[in-house]
Amino acid sequence: MKTGGLSKDQIKKISLSAVGVVFLLYVYFTFFLGPLARSRNTMLTAINDKQAKLNASKGEMSKAATLEVQAKAATAKFAALKGLNSEGAPIAWFPPRIKVFFANEQIDKAGARLETSVAFKEPELSGWMKYNWLVEIPQADYAALGKAIADLENAEPLLSITKLTIRAQTEQAQFQTVDFVATNYIQKK
Amino acid sequence: MALHLNLLHEEISEQRQRQRDPLKIGVMVLIALGAILFLYYMFSAYRTLEVKTRLSGVERDWAKVEPQVTAAQKRSAELNDIIKTTKVLEDYIENRFYWGPFLQKVSRCVAPNTQLTSIDGNVQDDYKGVTVSIEGTAAGREPRAAAEDLRQMLVEQLGQSYKDVKIEFKALEDLDTIVNIGGTNMAMAHYILNVSFNPYSAAKSPTAAATTERPAKQR
Repeated sequence: MKTGGLSKDQIKKISLSAVGVVFLLYVYFTFFLGPLARSRNTMLTAINDKQAKLNASKGEMSKAATLEVQAKAATAKFAALKGLNSEGAPIAWFPPRIKVFFANEQIDKAGARLETSVAFKEPELSGWMKYNWLVEIPQADYAALGKAIADLENAEPLLSITKLTIRAQTEQAQFQTVDFVATNYIQKK
Repeated sequence: MALHLNLLHEEISEQRQRQRDPLKIGVMVLIALGAILFLYYMFSAYRTLEVKTRLSGVERDWAKVEPQVTAAQKRSAELNDIIKTTKVLEDYIENRFYWGPFLQKVSRCVAPNTQLTSIDGNVQDDYKGVTVSIEGTAAGREPRAAAEDLRQMLVEQLGQSYKDVKIEFKALEDLDTIVNIGGTNMAMAHYILNVSFNPYSAAKSPTAAATTERPAKQR
């Protein structure tokens, strides 16, 4: 029996060939060309990434070199500020330092005790702590005290006096009793 | 014209039929297509290999540079941290309130007929200013006037260095005590002065202060 010039048998064979072609194309694209293209695309992406990193790295390194030059002053200043504080726990070295400092200013018996120590909220000062000290001077002459406080403020840039109380002594009016709260920034060890 | 008889008609027709066999043609088309696809696959594989070679080259370059870049990035981060921390510390140093000059100014204002018995000073948080309570006694024919003179002097002296200077009497009362100054008996008054001023007017915030020049050391 013939349909439009092709026999039933021929139509069957053509259909079979068409199925074969479709199957071949499916196998080819799915199992051969597909993985190859995927692998190539992955590698191309990796090349682009690496190339971008390589290009950026040149800028990164020159930026670091420039920053190194620019930060020279800041680095030196930072090292100097760090060097202001002694090694070890502040409670061990700060009170003796204050005692010696005031003794050198002809003010005896100055004592310092730690009131509080708090960490900073600012991320820039995450490596630093704020120590509040109560300094007590039982007897001082006003002029000597003023000079000593000025010297202390100049000698200790990371220290600031936040509270100051000067009271005249009842027995010896020429002398005063002094208390002050000093806040000091100290790097965490 | 001679009569031509085709006695092999069926055989020829069968042969033609065999030649036009769709399955055979299909197989040939499949083989040809397969060959084309194979060639294209080979071409693709070659391109992939080429890309792989390029990737190896780039990876080699990156492996050479990577340690330096990592070190540079680490150093940059470290330097940025140092710069930021130094800036914050500098702001803190520059915006401290110096008590030395303040005490000097107060001492300049105290006349022989006035006496200070206590000074109680506080530096407010967040650069809001400084408050001081000054207590003492004044002597004179008009002891209240002597106390007022002290207040005026303080306003004048502190106003030279600080902004928003405000000095008010919290208390001013006559005392029954009589004091002898230079051989003259004088009446006395007790006073408490509330002093407030702002030493940070030039630098409202630590960040703004960073742009101003650092004040010279006090003496």
